[in-house]
Amino acid sequence: MVEMLRIVIAEDAAVIRAGLAEILTDRGHEIVAAVGDAEALQAAVAEHKPDVAIVDVRMPPDHTDEGLRAAIAIRRDHPGTGILVFSQYVETRYAADLVSMRRGPHSAASGGVGYLLKDRVANVAEFIDAIARVAAGGTALDPEVVTGMLNAARHTSALAMLTARERDVLALMAEGRSNTAIADQLVISDRAVEKHISNIFSKLGLPPSDSDHRRVLAVLAFLGS
Amino acid sequence: MPEVAPFPATWLSGDGYRASRTRKAGGLTVDPWRHRAQHRNMSDNQTMAGVTISPVRRALTAPFTRRAWAEVGYAIVSFPLALLAFVFSLVTLHNGIFWAGSAPALRKIGSANRSLVRRMLGEDIPAPPPLRPHSYVRVRTPDADRLAALAKAEDAKVKQRGNRVRIGGMLATRIAELAADEHIVIHAMNPDRVVGWYRGAIRDAQAWKIRGYFLMKPVIASFHLVVAAGFWLAGLFYLTYPAWQEFAGAGPGLGSGHPVPLAASFLFVPLGAALLLASPWLTRAVCELDLLFVRGFLGDSSDPVALAARVKSLEAARARVKSLEAARAHVVDDSAARLRGIERDLHDGAQAQLVALAMKLGLAKEKLEDPAPPDFSRVAQLVDDAHRNAIEAIAELRTLAKGIHPSVLNNGLPDALATLAARSAVPVELVVDIQERPSAAIETIAYFSAAELLANVAKHSGARHATLEAVHVPGLLRIRVTDDGHGGAAAVPDGGLRGLAERIRTVDGSIDIESPSGGPTVATVELPSHA
Repeated sequence: MVEMLRIVIAEDAAVIRAGLAEILTDRGHEIVAAVGDAEALQAAVAEHKPDVAIVDVRMPPDHTDEGLRAAIAIRRDHPGTGILVFSQYVETRYAADLVSMRRGPHSAASGGVGYLLKDRVANVAEFIDAIARVAAGGTALDPEVVTGMLNAARHTSALAMLTARERDVLALMAEGRSNTAIADQLVISDRAVEKHISNIFSKLGLPPSDSDHRRVLAVLAFLGS
Repeated sequence: MPEVAPFPATWLSGDGYRASRTRKAGGLTVDPWRHRAQHRNMSDNQTMAGVTISPVRRALTAPFTRRAWAEVGYAIVSFPLALLAFVFSLVTLHNGIFWAGSAPALRKIGSANRSLVRRMLGEDIPAPPPLRPHSYVRVRTPDADRLAALAKAEDAKVKQRGNRVRIGGMLATRIAELAADEHIVIHAMNPDRVVGWYRGAIRDAQAWKIRGYFLMKPVIASFHLVVAAGFWLAGLFYLTYPAWQEFAGAGPGLGSGHPVPLAASFLFVPLGAALLLASPWLTRAVCELDLLFVRGFLGDSSDPVALAARVKSLEAARARVKSLEAARAHVVDDSAARLRGIERDLHDGAQAQLVALAMKLGLAKEKLEDPAPPDFSRVAQLVDDAHRNAIEAIAELRTLAKGIHPSVLNNGLPDALATLAARSAVPVELVVDIQERPSAAIETIAYFSAAELLANVAKHSGARHATLEAVHVPGLLRIRVTDDGHGGAAAVPDGGLRGLAERIRTVDGSIDIESPSGGPTVATVELPSHA
């Protein structure tokens, strides 16, 4: 079993809040607070300093993007807290906001970010995995979110330089998958994946360094463009 | 010389005349004689300063004003044109096809004449209303007899053959309206543009007036020319008669008669002067006569009453367009708001339930797939929760669907209202008189109105008994809810009724609530049969 995480849930639909709490407790995580609006979320994060905050985008009072704005504020004030934004729709702009937030001045010290559709929770293992990645400072972007952002970024010059295969690999990287997982998904060898990734790094002008960090930068530099 | 001169002083000075000649062309003020007018500034200024010009001087200078020359010019220019127009008007009298075909041309010629008047005489005669094609529509309907009778009742020209009706003089939209009101099924309806245009052109009163004008124009034009040219020439002839009587060897009868001695010839000079001085006034008189005809026959001669009626109906139409625009804007806003509401309901309701359901089933699935022996009571608990989520989701979807379109309406408003009345917490007496179904949109609004009003009765009125009345008279559906409660309901609808009132307004309906303190409360909603 993975390490126990301390988690804050902010979700206005009580039924989903309860469901999330149930899954996460079942997997041995601790729900330190479960709240229904953005203000309570910020208070809860300030109080409990959780490992991860799961944040619904739409919350009272306006039901627009309160959750996202709260998430950005949390990034600023509590960079150690990983944030998993949770939404019923793909909003590319939200994902872009998250990514640019990720590249902010605190990025070195920050926990991870993630953006998942609520549907993904149905696959409990993947959801738990995403939480763990975000807690560890990684990324967890929904495939649909990634597709949307790649489409939005299609006209940028950086993307134009990538081959279709490299783009596939990058999309899977953006979802936060490991090399092995990417190789499995694309039915190619691990070595081929590594080769694609090093091509991507060089095309995006990322110098060799700690490879995990470069992965994140590649995805983020790219999605943020 | 009489005190009241036929020439206003300003015409002589040129200033007022010039002003009236000045016309707008393409946004620019065009004054073809401006350069000529410049060295007349002195007299212009004098006139503007109110210096009166003596009648004698006016009479003496009359032959030399621009106006006088313009009138002579008009007489000369319009004469050959009048002959051409006359020939055209006459030739095209041949038969009906020519009548119709020449109507637009006649209008053009008339307009050319008006523009000649405007350019030369400075009078801008308003253009007549454009040729309007006669409305002529062919309709195919099984109810031909009824439609024909209805159209006839509205003074339309109707020809009927079997199930085909040809209706002249009634707009297609009006025919459709009639048919809808009377529930006449229409299989096909085609406006016949060719026949419509033909009939419109053949009966174009304006073209006939123009034709009439040009048929008599040669008389006026010849007279005009004779007066203008004749008086001028004769005046000049006699004025200068002494100078050439010897060489001409002719008498004073303009080239005939016996020559007169030189001394006597000077007697004709005053006659010449008199003719010269009189000629502008006579030319003017004829010109004014022509202008009278031009105004009457070529211009917009609609009588003031008809014109006022036209303006009024135009204003009414404009007001109607405005109110329709407002209503449409409202419909758009309203439907956008309702869609947002539906999205919210889905997001917070069924969708959330389904997400929770998926979570629980996902967790249960994992537990069952776990190689370790599963905790069945835990799994059962999860499945039970998921089941409850599913039931909730179904209920929420049902409520939502009902809010969008109540399925109880499928059998018509009477059944739907009966269901409403039966479900009401306060006993409701139902009075329904609906012979024909209103349109679906109206039924829906009527149903929601009744539901909201009955709900208000149950919630706020303290009534022990209520009556729900629904009456459909042609064109109007009236829903009335009366209760014996304590009254005092807000006259202006608020809360749930406010949204309803807005929907009612979008279809041109109205809601009225009378609720004196102490009761009873009468709420009336009136809707058109067709939205």
